[in-house]
Amino acid sequence: MGARFDPAAGLGRRLLADPWFVTGASLSLFLVLLVVLSPWLSPHDPHDMGYAAFAPPSADHWLGVNDGGMDIFAELLAGLRNTLAFGLVTASAGLAIGILVGLASAWFRGVVDQVLMRVADLLLAIPAVMILILLASFYRPSPWVLALVLASLAWPTSARLIRSQALGLRTRPHIAAARQMGGSSAYIIGRHMMPELFPLYLIAFASKVRMAVFMEASLSFLGLFDPTRKSLGRMISDALPFYYLDVWWHWLLPPIVLLTLLIMAFTFLAVSLERFFDPRLRAAWAD
Amino acid sequence: MGRLSVQELSVTYRAENHRLTALDRVDLKLAPGRIVALVGESGSGKTTLGRALLGLLPASAAVSGQIRLDDLELSGLAETQWNDLRWRRVAMLFQDAAGSLNPVQRVRDQVAEPLRVHRGLTLTEARMQADGALAGIGLDPALGTRFPHEVSGGELQRALLAMAMILEPEFVVLDEPTAALDSGTKGAIGRWIRQAADAGTGMLLISHDLELAVALADEVHVLYLGQVIESLPGPALLNNPMHPYTLALSRSVAGLDTHRDLGGVRGDALYRVLHRHPAGTGETDEHAHLVGSAVSHAECHLPARGCLFTPRCTQAVAECSTREPALEECNGHRIRCLRGGIVTELRLQGVAKRYGDAHALHPVDLELRAGETFCLVGESGSGKTTLALMAAGMLEPDLGERVFRGRPMDSWPRQDRHFLARHIGVIQQHPARAVSHRLSVFDIVAEPLRIQQPRLGRDALRERVFAALRDVHLAREPEFLQRYPHELNLGALQRVCVARALVTEPSLLIADEPTSALDPGVQAKVLKRLLDLQIEKGLTMLLVTHDLGLARKVADRIGVMRAGRIVERGPAVRLLNHPEHPYTQELLRGSFRQPIAAPVR
Repeated sequence: MGARFDPAAGLGRRLLADPWFVTGASLSLFLVLLVVLSPWLSPHDPHDMGYAAFAPPSADHWLGVNDGGMDIFAELLAGLRNTLAFGLVTASAGLAIGILVGLASAWFRGVVDQVLMRVADLLLAIPAVMILILLASFYRPSPWVLALVLASLAWPTSARLIRSQALGLRTRPHIAAARQMGGSSAYIIGRHMMPELFPLYLIAFASKVRMAVFMEASLSFLGLFDPTRKSLGRMISDALPFYYLDVWWHWLLPPIVLLTLLIMAFTFLAVSLERFFDPRLRAAWAD
Repeated sequence: MGRLSVQELSVTYRAENHRLTALDRVDLKLAPGRIVALVGESGSGKTTLGRALLGLLPASAAVSGQIRLDDLELSGLAETQWNDLRWRRVAMLFQDAAGSLNPVQRVRDQVAEPLRVHRGLTLTEARMQADGALAGIGLDPALGTRFPHEVSGGELQRALLAMAMILEPEFVVLDEPTAALDSGTKGAIGRWIRQAADAGTGMLLISHDLELAVALADEVHVLYLGQVIESLPGPALLNNPMHPYTLALSRSVAGLDTHRDLGGVRGDALYRVLHRHPAGTGETDEHAHLVGSAVSHAECHLPARGCLFTPRCTQAVAECSTREPALEECNGHRIRCLRGGIVTELRLQGVAKRYGDAHALHPVDLELRAGETFCLVGESGSGKTTLALMAAGMLEPDLGERVFRGRPMDSWPRQDRHFLARHIGVIQQHPARAVSHRLSVFDIVAEPLRIQQPRLGRDALRERVFAALRDVHLAREPEFLQRYPHELNLGALQRVCVARALVTEPSLLIADEPTSALDPGVQAKVLKRLLDLQIEKGLTMLLVTHDLGLARKVADRIGVMRAGRIVERGPAVRLLNHPEHPYTQELLRGSFRQPIAAPVR
């Protein structure tokens, strides 16, 4: 039995021994640092069009200048920032919905569970990308609105994951004790059930970021965002017409590489965390 | 042969500036061949009643009411008429009478004295009869020739008993006949008293020894501050006390066959006085008080009307201090209690639970009375925990009804969730799983209070948590309070769970193996604390355990469970000494080192 089981005990050490986690974590750290340090890394304003178009990389312009006279390195960092922010916002909002729905379903069971899970099934069947494309092309909403729309479409996977684990949690003696003490449903969900499933949120969060980053890149590649908004996907689509020039290696390649690294980082994290927590969760929580 | 009856007998003693109420409207009937026992603590008026039957009250006593011997009204008789009655028709063995014997007169002569005084026999005749009487009570006649100081206390007591009976009176009042005697002598005297009663003497046995009273008497009256608070008929008396006082009293007796730790009655013994405050203090009317050494005047201002036991009662409600209860019939007993005797705290009726095809619990009835300890024993898988969880309201039965304090339990969660939570404390089976590993010790113990009394101030919360921790002998240092469950050993964790269950001061404690992980020393302390709480606050306990030794020490009643059924239940004394069900016998045999004897049939 998991009497003394503490999911967090010694975890750090064991995670650091996992190459998947180390790769994913150092990559994410590197990318986040790029974003955070961008004002110092690149002195140029990504929207400044005053440079010589198609200038090759130089000491001043590390990755050269694009067709519109903008510094590519500055553009890259701004795009990374926007893409990452989109991913984080979407993942946070989606996870929040997923946690609430998953825990509520598991705790209340019955009708609440039925309704919420049928809604989840329905959303799983709808291709989110189609809805976003339609929405973006007709209404041109701000990227934040799109992020929230994406979040509200993408919660079912995490909700189901959380629900399945919370069902076992529900019958644990300390939850029964809190119930016996007169704790309300909100109290028990918030105070007892939510913290118990913390590792699950990491897994769900990482995979959601990955999904949202990919989605943002696709949409911006298709030109569905405000064209002046810097984004990795947009840069790729901007650079693509000039692939036959030798600008491709310093204009087209960097956003592709960065996007790949970004998705890789979160994929690695998700895979690693899942491997670490999932079997233990099952073993420890089967009461 | 006649009848000695007392009706509405009240006695008050006058003192300097107050009056002491010793008896308050007591009714009593003695009949030939019957033993009536009067029990109660000192100051309850037992001896006063006995003395009143012989007209031996001091001049300071004011008596009202009737004492009748056949058709003869005794109260108000002249001293000469009394002298005529005493010894011949009504005799008395006085408390501590051995001390009043003449030390320079031989025992036999003192025993013979009533014969000479009342029958006018010669010394020789009287001595012969006295020798016969001494032999009749099982004493060596040679003993009669000794002086009182040459005779043991037990022998002296027997001689005195023979003396009281020597004129073959119709009624005998025995005031503490066996106090300070060893159990062998006590048994012999008891048997002799019974024989004498069976031969036709009516007895009034005055004793604080409940065990003796129960063993001998045909009926028992429990006196409290001059009032009969419970009358118990028949021999099954104290197995089933109806009044909280009688229950507490019955727990205070160290019997050879009782295993339970001694309890006691809450609070201090009190006296009942009537007095007048000095002029100028505002209260000039004569009014009643209960006084006791440890109780201040203001604290014990007995209301004009009310139940006398209220200040020491664990189940008193507001009404108890305003309305005086009458002696009323209740399950064959007669009790003086507005609440109808010991209240039923929890009643489970036909509760059953099945998981798929497996019957975890067949329909079971269980009734817990306020202030008692009920132990469920049995092997694992017998349904003990299931039953306990249902009693705690943590598990829904498939069938049956649950009533807690007169309200159906199942309709509560919706209406008043906190009611159950406030009054039922639960200690779950596995301490490590019963607490959240994300809460510190302080937060765990504070949790019920935070849920139920969110407006409790920080200091008040701290105080209550600290008190609960103190009760279970845990530290209150910040360093300990901030620890997490996985940093504690199992014993400490279990005590944290006990503290959590007690922090809301529940009236019902449901504990599933509450001391399984504790060191014996700590276990003893925790159990002692629980029993203390029972005395002070009337805590009702449902204890699940497989440890029969533990059950012996704490249980008032025991239920033996097997395969989802309670196969045998009953008062702990009866069940442990004379188990009836084969499974109980097997269980007991398994837990003793030596085989136990077959049950007495």
